[in-house]
Amino acid sequence: MKQFLRKAALAAAIPLAVGVSAVGAGADTIRIALAETPSDELAAFFVALDRAKANGLDYEWTAFSDEELAIQAVLSGQMDIGFGTPYAAMQRSKAPLRIVFQLSKLKFFPVTTKKYSKLEDLNGEPILLHSRGGGTDSIANVIEDRLGIEFGERSYVPGSSNRVAALLGGRADATIIDLSNKNKLMRSEAGGNFNVLEMFDVEASDEALFGNLDWIQENEEQVGIFVSALASVWQDMHDDPTIIRRETNPDGPIGQLPAEILGELDGFYSDAVEAGLYDPNGGGRKAAMADMEWYSAAGQLDGDPSTLNIEDFWYLAPLDAAMN
Amino acid sequence: MPNRSLLLKILSAVILFGAWEIAGRVPVSFAFPTFLESMAALVRMTADGTIFTAYAETLKPLIVGVAISTVLGIAIGLWVGLSQFFDWLFSPIFIVMQAAPLAALIPLLVLAYGIGLTSKVLVVCIMAMPVIVLNTSSAVRNTPESMKEMGRAFLASDTAIVLKIIIPAASPVIFAGLRLGISAGFIGAILSELKITPTGVGDIITYSRSIADYPSMYAAIFSIILLAVLFLNLLEKIEVVLFKGNQRGYVSD
Repeated sequence: MKQFLRKAALAAAIPLAVGVSAVGAGADTIRIALAETPSDELAAFFVALDRAKANGLDYEWTAFSDEELAIQAVLSGQMDIGFGTPYAAMQRSKAPLRIVFQLSKLKFFPVTTKKYSKLEDLNGEPILLHSRGGGTDSIANVIEDRLGIEFGERSYVPGSSNRVAALLGGRADATIIDLSNKNKLMRSEAGGNFNVLEMFDVEASDEALFGNLDWIQENEEQVGIFVSALASVWQDMHDDPTIIRRETNPDGPIGQLPAEILGELDGFYSDAVEAGLYDPNGGGRKAAMADMEWYSAAGQLDGDPSTLNIEDFWYLAPLDAAMN
Repeated sequence: MPNRSLLLKILSAVILFGAWEIAGRVPVSFAFPTFLESMAALVRMTADGTIFTAYAETLKPLIVGVAISTVLGIAIGLWVGLSQFFDWLFSPIFIVMQAAPLAALIPLLVLAYGIGLTSKVLVVCIMAMPVIVLNTSSAVRNTPESMKEMGRAFLASDTAIVLKIIIPAASPVIFAGLRLGISAGFIGAILSELKITPTGVGDIITYSRSIADYPSMYAAIFSIILLAVLFLNLLEKIEVVLFKGNQRGYVSD
């Protein structure tokens, strides 16, 4: 009986000890929620993570299958910092989420068959978008708003590459796709059959880095290292896009991608920098203002954008420090 | 006490919804609404008709898929159960279908059948049909031999043996399979709307989530569960009417 009790006590103590040590490790390691699996688009982010690690940041990352799950993981406190543009979540749920860095802008391109040559031609015409309430949907809303047109039926197919496949298969005549898919399509042999329509510039964020305000303030130092590393990579990339390929850790998640993808990194980042996909200043106030205007027009934020307060959506201290 | 089962049902609902309300008030997560908020969202969506437009869209693949799975599933199941040859021919297909990780195979379906209704109906069928076929065939195979022998002793034709002995004897297990199959069909319909193109209830779920309207999201999920439960209860009533006296305790309303 004694022996049994001793065993039982041991059995109870082991998981307790493991639990305590896991919490101990968790306090120093920041947990990053990615909105997608590592791909060429995340190469610059991982370069920044490597630089941050060299400066003493301890991190681990988890890839979620979509942005909403990453946001929910941060909301529920299972992750510390995440990818996405959680403006609606910030306004509607009582969670104190704040953005600290703009990772990329909403650079998307209306691509159509030769039937249409300008945005006005799309009045009343069906269009293929990513998802209701998503980024391309908001672009379509703002196009309607600014040009005084109205699209016909909107159908939703997630993933730019899937929408390109629909265009190529003749199942759609108009869609909105991201930069790399637009370039791939227009540079391919089939490119001659499609038009990229002229569109106004968009400064609003597509992906941003955000976290829980309480957590950010408690871990100011680590967030500072992280944001500085991001800002330095974004600036260096602006001067020379090839640093992303050169600095990519061959043993890291990006370095393990197939050689064909790694070979296209230079092209991808040169195009992206040229198109202004990445803001070397990390967004900051300019991006925050643009976002509030954009996401209000797109229907994700309620209320007049001029009455919204930047501090309710962004926490600017780490970026300001990194910029000085 | 005639109303004891009703009372117990109400009690378990109160406990469940009470726990939900408490979890939402704690809150377990900022993304988890309370029960009352979700019900308010459900009432709002019902009042402005959103939920009906959504179901008009979701029920299409669901009804077509469940109808095909039921008719074809029971027919194939009977056939497989009655003949060794068809057992050998068809059973492996359905066993593979049942074991396949469907969510991972959806891109393949989209490749072959596009993003329209066909793919969604197929997802519902792949979820629903294997259980129906496999349950029906094993029920048919397990008809008591003595009953069939008695039929033959009374010079019944083969058709009469199938219709009057095998099917009634197999009915409880067939209906158990139908219940499992149809619940799987509901899962398939929502899965297809989340994974292929967001329409109907799947659209309410993804859209509400993307604008952080969590009460509406959980209201939509709640409504589909409610519909599935109501439908399964209806199925049970049908079973009682069709095969009175044959239920063997599988029924639990």
